[in-house]
Amino acid sequence: MSAAVLATDQAAQALGAQSNSYAVVTAGLTKRFGKRLAVDGLDLLIPAGSITGFVGPNGAGKTTTIRMLLGLIRPTAGTGTVLGHPLGHSRAYLPRVGALIEGPTFYPTLSGRENLMVLARLGGLPKSRVEATLERVGLGERGLDPFRTYSLGMRQRLGIAAALLPGPELLVLDEPTNGLDPHGIAEIRAMLRSFADEGMTVFVSSHLLAEIQQICEHLVVIEAGQLLFQGGVEELLAARSPELIVRTENQDDASRLMALVNAAGRTARIVGESAGTTLEIVADCSWAGALNRLAMGHGITLVHLAERRSTLEEAFFEITGSCARAGSVPDGGPPDPPRPPSASGGGGPERQGPDARASSSKARQA
Amino acid sequence: MILRAFQSEWIKMRRRRLWFGSYGAITGVVLLSTIVTIAGALHHPDRQGDLTLAQLAHASGLSQGLTQSGVLLGAVSFSIAAAQFGGEFAHGTLRNLLVRQPRRWVLMAGKCLAVLTFLVGAAVVAAIFGICAAFVMAHLRGVPTSAWTSGVGMGDLGIALGDLAISACGFAIVGMIFGVLLRSSVIAIAAGLALLLPIETILTDAVPGTVRWLPGQLLEAIAQGGSTGAPFEAAVITVSAYLAGAVAITMLIFLRRDVTA
Repeated sequence: MSAAVLATDQAAQALGAQSNSYAVVTAGLTKRFGKRLAVDGLDLLIPAGSITGFVGPNGAGKTTTIRMLLGLIRPTAGTGTVLGHPLGHSRAYLPRVGALIEGPTFYPTLSGRENLMVLARLGGLPKSRVEATLERVGLGERGLDPFRTYSLGMRQRLGIAAALLPGPELLVLDEPTNGLDPHGIAEIRAMLRSFADEGMTVFVSSHLLAEIQQICEHLVVIEAGQLLFQGGVEELLAARSPELIVRTENQDDASRLMALVNAAGRTARIVGESAGTTLEIVADCSWAGALNRLAMGHGITLVHLAERRSTLEEAFFEITGSCARAGSVPDGGPPDPPRPPSASGGGGPERQGPDARASSSKARQA
Repeated sequence: MILRAFQSEWIKMRRRRLWFGSYGAITGVVLLSTIVTIAGALHHPDRQGDLTLAQLAHASGLSQGLTQSGVLLGAVSFSIAAAQFGGEFAHGTLRNLLVRQPRRWVLMAGKCLAVLTFLVGAAVVAAIFGICAAFVMAHLRGVPTSAWTSGVGMGDLGIALGDLAISACGFAIVGMIFGVLLRSSVIAIAAGLALLLPIETILTDAVPGTVRWLPGQLLEAIAQGGSTGAPFEAAVITVSAYLAGAVAITMLIFLRRDVTA
């Protein structure tokens, strides 16, 4: 059974069962704007109570998907449920959903408190929620100041406060750390963690893959409106082959060691760092001792030996195949250089290039 | 639910800048119209239709300035409503509102009621200032005002105020329609005012009889209690039909259109 069929089947089953274990389920969710296909048959499964990261290059369809989940955009095709209610009945679930979409937008001349009051009154929420959420995001003392005087970080926090107003079961945050400094990012990260600890389902889109890796247990990757991966972050990273990074004292020893490693059944290659003395070896840290002994036995002195774990950024670029394609690099920073295919023969996530995606429906389910 | 949307909108309308700007503009328009009308009244008419001081002394004299302010008041009302609705799209605040109130018609109805009450309040405040200015100007021009304060005079004033309020609300609803359809306050105000004022005026001058079919001209006629080209009742019926149709179409579009801003 193909991965795409598997994902669709699971989505359909979850839809049918109205399972409480998923906060969001979609099957074949599609949105077309004229000739442009923004979201293409998306099958989402967002576990309840999880922090799920939603990543993809610019224009991948993340915001369109979020807007469809919030009833702001009508899907062209497909079905889905949010908190057990069909997508078409957003009034049934939106009172239990908080959202920050595409950055915080408020009335500039109103104070933070008044901006929240507008939304609280509209949603029939008590005034006490406004005070509580302002305190929660650390804006209690600046609540009476006009929104236009807020820093970017304060604006983001007010946006999160607005999302928290109804005491949501599902929190949807679109780029909550956009433009924040490291301190602000750390604050938002801690906040998201605390929301999840309270049992909230947090669905967060971001370009900052390192942040996603730190806070999310679950991950959804899309590109060109299509699902490329969804599953546990750890599962994704664990599926990639770990590497040992080794540096020899002499340049000649590097090529000797590479031959020895390859002869031992591992894959090694010299990388262009430190004047050709650095090797990448596909192996986990349990083989580090054997490697050290192997080098010592042949008179090779190692000056550096460390395990390098895959990052989400590397996994992302591998999944999206965006290294070689201009214009699809996310804002999180330049991609790492392409890496050679693993010779270990398995374990790593299957890369789905554009051709593969064009010929099949692509979704991978971890 | 509509009440919640109404109250929510009023939190925004309490903005000091909006309050002073709108109420100030509308009051200024009425004051200007009242002062110019009474100051320009003649002892003997030069031509038919000129307002005379003798006519000002009648019971309806007090409301003469108010009725002349209909177009300008309408333009201000149109602009305020277009800005309130178009701004929600342009600033991206509509998405926040729709997450908290997914029933779009409820949001629209509450918002519309809030804008209309805001404008009626502004018209009443402006009228109070206009009445005060009328008495001051009457004193300066030597116009007797005893008929103004009679029962008939008060009745005429009430009718004039009602006509003005209906006209202002009509202009505001047209502004709302433009704001929602064009999704931008600037474009809505520019396009709407261009259509309602110069384009309609040119059409009226160029094609006889069109005054009874053009919405801006009809709303102006309502503010004046009817005109020769557009009697009051006919104007009210025609404008009501126009607005009902336009509001229905606008609401349908708003309910179905994707919110991408």
